[in-house]
Amino acid sequence: MSVDGGRRRTLAGLAASAALTSPLARAAEAFLPGPPPGPKSAPSRPVVAVGRRDGLVTASGAIDPKLLEAALGAAVARAAGEATAVAAMRRLFKPTDVVGIKVNCLGGRGVSTRPEAALQLAAFLQAAGVPADRIYVWDRTDRELRGAGYVIASHGVRVFGTNEDFDDRLVEWGPSASRFDRVLATQLTALVSCSVLKDHGLAGASLTLKNWYGAIHNPNKLHDDNCVPFIPHLVACPVIHDKLRLNVVDGSLAQCHGGPGRAPRWAWPFGGFLVSTDPVAVDAVGRQILEARRKELGLPTLAAEGREPGHVAAAARLGLGVADLGRIERAEV
Amino acid sequence: MRRRRFVTDLAVSCTGCALAGGRVLEAEPLQDPFAAASSLRVEEGGLNPTPARWFKTLPDGWVECGVCPRACRISEDERGTCGTRENRKGKLYTLVHSRPCSLAIDPVEKKPFFHVLPGASALSLATAGCNLECKCCQNWEIAQARPEQVPSMTLTPADVVALARRKGARLVACTYNEPVVFSEYVLDIAVAGRAAGVRTVMISNGYVQEQPLADLCREIAAYKVDLKGFDGGFFKRHTGGELKHVLDTLRRLRKHGTWTEIVALVIPTQNDSEAEAHALARFVRDEVGPETPLHFTRFHPSYRLQNLPSTPVPTLERCRDVAMAEGLRFVYVGNVPGHPGESTYCPGCGRVLLRRFGMSVAENRLKGGACPDCHRTIPGIWS
Repeated sequence: MSVDGGRRRTLAGLAASAALTSPLARAAEAFLPGPPPGPKSAPSRPVVAVGRRDGLVTASGAIDPKLLEAALGAAVARAAGEATAVAAMRRLFKPTDVVGIKVNCLGGRGVSTRPEAALQLAAFLQAAGVPADRIYVWDRTDRELRGAGYVIASHGVRVFGTNEDFDDRLVEWGPSASRFDRVLATQLTALVSCSVLKDHGLAGASLTLKNWYGAIHNPNKLHDDNCVPFIPHLVACPVIHDKLRLNVVDGSLAQCHGGPGRAPRWAWPFGGFLVSTDPVAVDAVGRQILEARRKELGLPTLAAEGREPGHVAAAARLGLGVADLGRIERAEV
Repeated sequence: MRRRRFVTDLAVSCTGCALAGGRVLEAEPLQDPFAAASSLRVEEGGLNPTPARWFKTLPDGWVECGVCPRACRISEDERGTCGTRENRKGKLYTLVHSRPCSLAIDPVEKKPFFHVLPGASALSLATAGCNLECKCCQNWEIAQARPEQVPSMTLTPADVVALARRKGARLVACTYNEPVVFSEYVLDIAVAGRAAGVRTVMISNGYVQEQPLADLCREIAAYKVDLKGFDGGFFKRHTGGELKHVLDTLRRLRKHGTWTEIVALVIPTQNDSEAEAHALARFVRDEVGPETPLHFTRFHPSYRLQNLPSTPVPTLERCRDVAMAEGLRFVYVGNVPGHPGESTYCPGCGRVLLRRFGMSVAENRLKGGACPDCHRTIPGIWS
């Protein structure tokens, strides 16, 4: 995937020149909308690949590694339009990239990104030529990572929490302003969102778009009005938008109600992964899966509960991707 | 270990003072006040989880916070908007009790309270967190942060009062960030202080629910409300909150009989119209009381409002004239050192009673809380 950088560079260049001229211009720079409109070379009909395998999650709750590699690999490949996951990674990432895999471990064991899934993505990346020490798996804190079964690692593929180490710069991004994870802001050149297929009591769904709340210092400020317009504007922020190449939603074990924390009563083994280069499309499909499961269990729709995940459509309106299911190719692989 | 902690605490004090512009506390008295704190077991990240006083439980382990009008619904392991109150296994905890991140000695005029113990020193403290997000937040480094993101010290309510007494401070001012988010700590400080003759005051945005306000008003001496604007649309855009809740707080403060002063920050082109000044003054006159001090304060660019100039002084003067014309007796111009509008004048005879320059009182002519010339009673807390 090529990054549509021309227009962005122009804007950035203009802002930089303006910044040199006057305090007013410097202030105006902070209020530039930031993200350029339009998805990054997104196809008119984005693909959301759904890789599922029976038995992916064993009766004991463990992940079958071979089925994991097959399900996730097939989905990554299909999402990028390549024959294999490694070829897909080779097309999306360069060996010189520093790749951050942002996981979501808020729910502890059970409804967090499985460590096996994050590390399998890292393995695909390594096979595609990205050195292990240029691959970072991270989330908010070491504590939450450990709670989800991760082992903190400072060698090889690095696994670590932000642990409140945020970049000093306050970035204005439309409806709010945040400090970003220091590594994200200063080191990472490419991103993979690896979130969880789960419900959220305020946002409706916490999938790939909302995953980025875990990369800033003030997510607590951003939950009013079902998190709209906060989520789409945050993802549109260049520090995320310009680097985001791949979106994976871990549905090995999913949860259709009672989120974002763990609520075993509402969890079920979806047994697969959703993968797309379009962060909006993957959330639209994820939401559809959650709603279907809710219907099976006799739960009202998210909208009926007053928590319509409006951030998905809002993200589409902002040009981050496609939310219209009629324009998304859902490919079961 | 003690020395290391002493150095850390001093650094924290300096950080807070740099933010707040106050006078750094000297190092020598720190060991004793903090000794009592050794019994506290502070968690990783510097958190001191203490049961919250105002919340209700909801199904599925959720809680609803009852401290501010946001009434945040919080799932397990999550926090409310302020970032300081966390749901743990279906119960709400404040994480900042006894964990201030800023500490300084300020003159009470800096708060500003102009009718509370003129010239007195106030031990001023803050924790992390705020329930609003004002675009011109002056202390955003602490107010818009969660507790783990700022270095904090341990200081129990008893420690706070002891330190205030040692420093000759007649007041403890809960300020810099929004004290409503640490209301339990404020209450405990106020109770401890009352027994020791140290009064507690709050410098607040007034975004607080009815019950915690009632509980606070039973213990504190005075409440200053920063009224961020008097137009609901502007208030929402500027702070993320609803103006009506702050107006309710002002009405309730009158009902509780708590000494109240109001600050209106005047931001050029945003909330500086004459019509808004009229409306604000009429509200204060009719619903809070015409003797309530109202401070029109000068804005300076900060946080996310860097693209506006400082408020022209004539704008503040016009606001003051409007409010006086509406019948308010004590209207001030703030953040303009040396301006005549900083001083207190007798509404009876017009003579100056308290002459101020910046944050200092140059002359105090009050006699027993009254004008020495015409004997008109001046409302406030004077002794």
